[in-house]
Amino acid sequence: MHDFLDFSRAWLPELLKGVPATLLLWIISITLAFFLGLALAWARIYGNRFWYAVSTVYVEVFRGTPMLVQMFFIYLGLPEIGIVFDSFTCAIIAIALNSAAYQAEYFRGSMQSIPHGQMVAARACGMSQWQAVLHIVLPQALRRVVPQWSNEAILELKFTSIAYTIGVVEITARASKIGYETLQFFDIFILAAIIYLVLTSFVASLLDWVERRLHIPGVTNVG
Amino acid sequence: MDSQRVLDVRQMRKTYGDIEILKGISLSLDRGQTKVLIGPSGSGKSTLLNCINYLVPPDDGEVKLNGVIVGDRNLNAMRAKMGFVFQGFNLFAHLTVLDNIRICPMKVKKVSKDEATERAYLELDRVGLKDKAAAYPAQLSGGQQQRVSIARALAMDPTVILFDEPTSALDPELTGEVIRVMKNLADDGMTMLVVSHEMGFARSAADEIIFMEHGVIVEQGPPAMLFSSPQQRRTADFLRVIAEHA
Amino acid sequence: MVDILVSNFPYLLEGLGVALVLLAALLAVGVALGAAIALLQVYGPRVWWVRWPIFVFERVFRGVPIIILLFLFYYGLSGVYDISSFAAAILGLGFRSAAYQSQIFRSALQSVDVGQMVAARAMGMSKLQAIAFVAVPQGVRYALGPWTNEFSAELKDTSLAYVIGVVELTRQAKYIISSNHGHILVVFAVAAAMYFVVNKIGNSFFYRLEAKYAVPGSERRLFSR
Repeated sequence: MHDFLDFSRAWLPELLKGVPATLLLWIISITLAFFLGLALAWARIYGNRFWYAVSTVYVEVFRGTPMLVQMFFIYLGLPEIGIVFDSFTCAIIAIALNSAAYQAEYFRGSMQSIPHGQMVAARACGMSQWQAVLHIVLPQALRRVVPQWSNEAILELKFTSIAYTIGVVEITARASKIGYETLQFFDIFILAAIIYLVLTSFVASLLDWVERRLHIPGVTNVG
Repeated sequence: MDSQRVLDVRQMRKTYGDIEILKGISLSLDRGQTKVLIGPSGSGKSTLLNCINYLVPPDDGEVKLNGVIVGDRNLNAMRAKMGFVFQGFNLFAHLTVLDNIRICPMKVKKVSKDEATERAYLELDRVGLKDKAAAYPAQLSGGQQQRVSIARALAMDPTVILFDEPTSALDPELTGEVIRVMKNLADDGMTMLVVSHEMGFARSAADEIIFMEHGVIVEQGPPAMLFSSPQQRRTADFLRVIAEHA
Repeated sequence: MVDILVSNFPYLLEGLGVALVLLAALLAVGVALGAAIALLQVYGPRVWWVRWPIFVFERVFRGVPIIILLFLFYYGLSGVYDISSFAAAILGLGFRSAAYQSQIFRSALQSVDVGQMVAARAMGMSKLQAIAFVAVPQGVRYALGPWTNEFSAELKDTSLAYVIGVVELTRQAKYIISSNHGHILVVFAVAAAMYFVVNKIGNSFFYRLEAKYAVPGSERRLFSR
């Protein structure tokens, strides 16, 4: 144990340098995924046959295949047809595209759970469909989706570690490098695990607080 | 008298599957008139109301509001002038009572927030719920929710208000407060087309009762005449059934 | 390009085979451990030395990224015993799956109407009998829907065993790409398609299973990864 504490003191600072990259990768990806997911859900509920098909195919493909393969496809495969990005950007794209598919399904579910009568009432007083969805459906749907969205967000935080495989220098990559330098793989990965646990716990608490703040009686259930 | 004609419905037809719900209905309302549609379930009363503001597009027929034909191009603008009160209230659950009343004037008619707020309080007062402005729909009783939904319709300055069985979803002891509000509106000169089973309201507030059955208008006339000496046997049969269950 | 695909397809199949064996093994670990945990949580003694380890187990295995877990099991266990990466993957992914499955089973068991358990006890069944004959049979059926989601997720997660050297489908794809210049997009697309097809087959199978054995009067499909 004493060795472990010594080891930690020596290498933790180096390992922590990976946190900004992890967090940045995470925040950018889920934000992009949020908007894309919302658009996909909208297309599936209100879109015409073409957009419905596009959205459905997208969701099926990205939820039906592993993120690792998607990431390799983008980082290693796209250059074949001339599309080249640095590894960090590729990771963002892969995580965002993947998460959007899952978020789309959550959004679709929650948007469809809003009683249709309210939509009818909104149209009846003269709102366009766009207005009705924006002002009546979305504010309620987004509140209802918070628990599922939180799970998804935390999952993506953990999945940032996959970016290690294409060379992004985030927490896992740094841990691996330190492991090769010290040959104390187990210890460094324990440290990495602890860092991730702290991050995910913090994010979970934060999103819990958000959920409670957004609660409206009759729209969401707390607890 | 044509400049007084607010709502003109001609030959409305609607078929669902193989059932013809509306078989060519025509009716009209002049300014300040209150007409009540009665009839057995399945007669097409609700469908008619939903077709008038194209929430359900009719298969055939024409609707004119103040002489202007309602069509695809002006739909939202026309709906803004027709108030609609639903059986299930359909209040916006995420908004306070005040916001529920303010949102349509602000978003559809582009009224300023101050003006909308002032008007909202006015209508809220009119239906007797000024103290509930900050409450959410889930915190109100059914009767209160329906009164808010009437205030929501009033805030849009409608030319006519359509009521689709406004008290049918309410517990009996709560219907009174809603009927009272509707009666006051009728007395104040609002143009109203009401689908309802509330015979008391029909008798005292309606200028004309329209009896519908199987998608056609069987008979129509002033309450005094219809209730005491209906011309058609079907009307008499229906009224007797209603009286027995009152 | 087609000949490259055709001549290398057997390798991809081999990778898929490895992935499927890994999947079956890890799911088995997950079911066994997950069920045990769930039963303990729902029916076990409410003492801290049962509750706390379970709480910590779940927290850790759900809060740590898969790749880190795989590395931990691989490097951690090979200090004690010469473990192959395949076995480390089974354990790492299996324990993690157990953490998720225990929640599925717990939810399913709690969905069984408590009144039925009370009735069973009232008629003389022991607690164990009530659990075995009333709760579990229904719980299993309630669990099928969410469990199918778990199946899908784990199928995709097997690809991550790549990082500790398991030669499953994704790694095979990478080998093919390095030994044959180019065709990167196509090879990965084919590999992705293989995951997709297996996923669909699995889902369809479990869906029909769920429909066939559903408790009459119930219908449940929870959303999860």
